[in-house]
Amino acid sequence: MNIKITHNWLLDYLDTDATPDQIREYLSLCGPSVENVEKVGDDYVFDIEVISNRIDYASVIGMAQEAQAILPMFGKKAKFRENSLEKYNFKNIVGNKNLCSLQVKIINPTLCSRFTAIVIENVRIGPSPKFISERLVACGIKSINNVVDTSNYLMLALGQPVHTFDYDQIKGATMIMRESKKGEKIITLDKKEVTLPGGDIVMEDGSGRLIDLCGIMGGLNSSINEKTKNVVVFVQTYDKVRIRRTTMATGVRTIASTFFEKGLDPERVEPTLVYGVELLEKYAQGKIASKIYDIYPKKQGKKLLVMSYGLFGKKIGIEIPKKKIVSILTNLGFGVSDGPKQGQTLLEGLTLQVSVPSWRVNDINIPEDIIEEVARVYGYHNIPSKLQPAVYVEQPKEMENLFVFQNRIKTFLKHLGLNEVINYSMISEDQIKEFNLDPKKHLRLSNSLSKDIEYLRMSLLPSLLKNIKENSGKTKYNSAPGLRLFEIAKVYIPVGNKNICSLPQEIYRLGIAVNTDYSDLKGIIEAIYKELNINFEENKNIFPLPEIIEKSGNYMVEVDFQSLIDNCQLVPKYKSLHPYAIIKLDKTFEVRADIKTAPTTYAGIKQKALKSKLLQNIEVVTLYKNKLTLRFYYSSPEKNITEEEAKDALNKV
Amino acid sequence: MDQKKYELEINSAKTLDELSQLEIKYLGRNGQINKLLSEIKNVPNEEKREYGQKVNLLKTEIKKYIEIRKLIVSKEKSEVFFDKTLPGKAYPKGSIHIVSYAIEEITKIFEKIGFIRVSYPEVDWEYGAFESLNMPSGHPARDDVETSFIDVPAHPNLGKMVLTPHTSNGQNREMKRVKTPPIRMINISKCYRPNWDPTHTPMFHQFEGLCVDSDISIVNLRGTLDYFAEKYFGKGTKTRLRPHHFQFTEPSFEVDISCNNCGGIGKYKGEKCRVCKSGWLELGGTGMVHPNVLREGGIDPSANSGWAFGFGIERVIMMKYGLDDIRNYYSGDIRFLEQF
Repeated sequence: MNIKITHNWLLDYLDTDATPDQIREYLSLCGPSVENVEKVGDDYVFDIEVISNRIDYASVIGMAQEAQAILPMFGKKAKFRENSLEKYNFKNIVGNKNLCSLQVKIINPTLCSRFTAIVIENVRIGPSPKFISERLVACGIKSINNVVDTSNYLMLALGQPVHTFDYDQIKGATMIMRESKKGEKIITLDKKEVTLPGGDIVMEDGSGRLIDLCGIMGGLNSSINEKTKNVVVFVQTYDKVRIRRTTMATGVRTIASTFFEKGLDPERVEPTLVYGVELLEKYAQGKIASKIYDIYPKKQGKKLLVMSYGLFGKKIGIEIPKKKIVSILTNLGFGVSDGPKQGQTLLEGLTLQVSVPSWRVNDINIPEDIIEEVARVYGYHNIPSKLQPAVYVEQPKEMENLFVFQNRIKTFLKHLGLNEVINYSMISEDQIKEFNLDPKKHLRLSNSLSKDIEYLRMSLLPSLLKNIKENSGKTKYNSAPGLRLFEIAKVYIPVGNKNICSLPQEIYRLGIAVNTDYSDLKGIIEAIYKELNINFEENKNIFPLPEIIEKSGNYMVEVDFQSLIDNCQLVPKYKSLHPYAIIKLDKTFEVRADIKTAPTTYAGIKQKALKSKLLQNIEVVTLYKNKLTLRFYYSSPEKNITEEEAKDALNKV
Repeated sequence: MDQKKYELEINSAKTLDELSQLEIKYLGRNGQINKLLSEIKNVPNEEKREYGQKVNLLKTEIKKYIEIRKLIVSKEKSEVFFDKTLPGKAYPKGSIHIVSYAIEEITKIFEKIGFIRVSYPEVDWEYGAFESLNMPSGHPARDDVETSFIDVPAHPNLGKMVLTPHTSNGQNREMKRVKTPPIRMINISKCYRPNWDPTHTPMFHQFEGLCVDSDISIVNLRGTLDYFAEKYFGKGTKTRLRPHHFQFTEPSFEVDISCNNCGGIGKYKGEKCRVCKSGWLELGGTGMVHPNVLREGGIDPSANSGWAFGFGIERVIMMKYGLDDIRNYYSGDIRFLEQF
């Protein structure tokens, strides 16, 4: 969330010699991130990012508090001129208090941590004074009239949203705050009908009509219009969880609701109401016409934290003088005093007791929170930079192997001319069916953005085939023939059944797809095996070559990556060198798939040839039609063999 | 016979054809040598021997001249122009994905200061993605992290099954694996969030650093970030921390790095720097590990402290190389892939 405030408005609260640009720069380094400063007329508008735990600084006064702590660290003067939070309290309210009354009832006290209201009579609806409407417009809020603008002005000034009702439209002058029932309807200020999911905080009047979707938007039926005479100023803090739930369920979100859903300080309600009364008296000529209704069942006690001074140095890494710690915390509104002495050493001995200001009780809970306050205001840029001492931590071998081998195979395939692709882990139902797989056996995303990425893939091939298809029309710069793609990624194998599930097995696979030809792909796989010294020819049964799948002229293969690692030999088995001759003989065969007798294939020939212990290697010389010429290398590590011995061996093939 | 004449004649021959004409002219059956030999009958007897020797010598010499000339002519003929500016023999050039390069580079940078790369699940329970990171169920911070859910029954204790929206689920797992600090982890993995627009893809990569030891402070986090920034983005790159809020760290920071285009001043050649606008580029989130996160990992926060960060791989690639159309990363487009 972002809010805008103006420089002149800030100066109402803060006495400083810092320029708007300095304020932007210094606050951003040590506190709220001021994303932009823009000159508007003779004023400047700050655009400020509000992080989720710091709703307390989303106001002019909140920024003044931050500036009071941060700017002095840069040698700038910064002091509150007057602290409105202290200045405005219920004791200031004087006037005729019994002209109008309200019947207030809160059915469930947990809905609203503090409820206040007051009636102001005889307001004169008209335009706001210039400074109010100009400031609101500069901050991105429409100026409507003096009464409505007052509540928006209060919200930006003090960070507490305010609602105003037309008193005379509240039937029976009765306000009953309760939980909504499911399906109840309310027409809100923007003339839209909202159907409520139930359990929302709402208010009904004496006639049973809903007049407010509390914390989010008022009802149209009781809103301020040109004829409004008497006004109810309505300031509360609500159960933040309910507000959030309602905005999420109904989709109705307002600036007020973004405040309330983060949890506001009930103590802030009092000064806000009193300041609001002052503004309405001044700029709408209203008069106080009722007593103050204040229902505050559980006033928060003081929140105290005790911690050792030593902890600051330990967690920040440098010693920050005690005096500096105290001044930073005090300027932020914390109370600091010496805490009880603990322990024997000096480090543990000196403690401080920090009392947390009411507007920070939600976000300050542990000593680390206090350390953050001190460290950030002291300035992260003032903290030195030094690497932690080196230590040895052992990397599990299986993790190391996974990364080392992935890198090795990627580099190797790149050098063979293949292109690595990274695809989404999710694929479509159609892609699964194309490979005759069952979508039901896959893990499915329940909130997928698109049918294209609905299922967690159990194979890399559907993605690779899609890559080949989508690229086939594209002209690449590399003139190498065809497309040759690979991917190393996880597949996700579900574990469990419909009722009980474990996390899926996540298994790395290597997938390769080409649109060249069968022998190209087979050659790539063989090359990988050779690179890893996997003797796939002899260990045929242990780790065979994977099956090559053909789909519309594209060839694909998928290998379990871990088994490549498991079967790899860093250095191949060494064969001792010998001085004996190698005899090379060529022979031509006719390969054929004869059904009646055994087919003649390269594999069959090889199997027969390997029966001779003298055979060292076989090479394919040529293949012309079905005439296959092979070259056989015969040799013995023990003695010179004669050509006759070699021919004998070959004749048996 | 005039030696100068035949020598000149042979040496001025330009082609093998001309030379064979000359061969016939001198050495042929009716050639000049044979003509000279046939005239031997007219030579007086006592001079016949000397005459014959001279003619034979001449024959040998002409033969030699022709042979030499043949070699020269045939060599000249084969010497066509050789263009050395032509490219060499073409070898295949494949490619590795730009994300793989970045992962490798980052792994090595952290390896040098003793960080080990680990591998943890991409599909995890809500516990791993949230509860173990100080984000209890129902906490609004969980809304900020949009999450992809898996359509299976929830685990009775660990919540729904999710695709990890960040690499931080590795924190709790690494603490439980190592049990006793020190911890020096770098976890690089795919992450998933239901966002798909010009600047987001539903899958992306993060790298997560985690350092836990008896005496780890903000000084050490700064040291590590400065080290990484200089090694990855180049010498002289600075970092800065700004206050922020994350549930799993306290204090929490956002890290910026100084812009290498303008040198961190926000102005380039007198104009506003187009890369960074302010001199700094946002890198990501970091902080000191929250005591609750340590506790949940079985580590005593009163005796240990640590820092953690999680940055986007695509983001650092974008910052370093300016590859800003992230949708190309995972489109599988060969025109993108083949460039790296």
